[in-house]
Amino acid sequence: MLRSYMLSATLLTMSAGFALAHDTEALMESPPGEPYVQVSDVLPLPEFLPGLGTLFVVPDTLPAGPFLAYDHDGKLSATVYMTPLEALSSGTAYNDLHVGSHEVTSVDVYYNAGHPGVDEPHAHVVLYHDADAKGRLAQ
Amino acid sequence: MRLARRKILALGSGILATLSMPAIIRAAPAEVIEMRGTARGERVWFRPHGLAVTAGTTIRFINRDPGNSHTSTAYHPDNFDRTRRIPKAAHPWNSDFLLPDESFEVTLTVPGVYDYYCIPHEMAPMVGRIVVGDPGDAGWEGPSTDTEDVTREVFDALPRVEDILDLGRIEQEDGT
Repeated sequence: MLRSYMLSATLLTMSAGFALAHDTEALMESPPGEPYVQVSDVLPLPEFLPGLGTLFVVPDTLPAGPFLAYDHDGKLSATVYMTPLEALSSGTAYNDLHVGSHEVTSVDVYYNAGHPGVDEPHAHVVLYHDADAKGRLAQ
Repeated sequence: MRLARRKILALGSGILATLSMPAIIRAAPAEVIEMRGTARGERVWFRPHGLAVTAGTTIRFINRDPGNSHTSTAYHPDNFDRTRRIPKAAHPWNSDFLLPDESFEVTLTVPGVYDYYCIPHEMAPMVGRIVVGDPGDAGWEGPSTDTEDVTREVFDALPRVEDILDLGRIEQEDGT
């Protein structure tokens, strides 16, 4: 009985791990597919944002995201979160946010005054997925 | 010598002819206000954010921020039911969102003080003030004193009318 339980738990863990790996694998190239939408298709913003690249997001997850950031070649380069400062100071927490890739080489956190979609002062939290990602997203 | 004198006389006639041309042929006054932002969007601003012009001046707003979109929107009930901060006789404007290098023009004919803002960046506060003419002009309407519809940060970010009239234009390179 115990062995059966452990086997089931192991399979469940393996299955969840596989699903998670499979999900992130599907996001590595642009476009990531539904339910993600390209930000510039639904908001008045440039298709490629200097510093952030081409962004995709699931609308239900706004404002925090994750926003998936792709370079000019369509490679997933960063996962971005946008957290309004007023909401944070009022006690809102953004927990258990998804990531576009499990590999993270560096993280930038900086202030943004606002833009369509998140039109209030907020923080950008940028998880870069490889060492060259920041350079590819710059311009 | 006679030839040179004739040339001078011809030149003088040309200048006189230009000066006496009907106003409609001369170029109308025009000014440019840029929408600017830092690379990461920490700061956004109008440049200049304070400007004095004569009545009839056409203002061209142009987005020079490569990573953001901006609007120029007059404070007026026609725009999202905001409290009026332009002369009563003036027509309100709203550029809608301008992507990088896009522009929008508005011609201001009524003397007075015009306050405007950028929709996604009002909280920044990305606002500006244009003074058309001066208080001696017929129909002049001074600045709104309302502080209910705008935040203290917005109110404080608007340059004083006296400073705009003294300096002609007020701008800061990095928006601070």
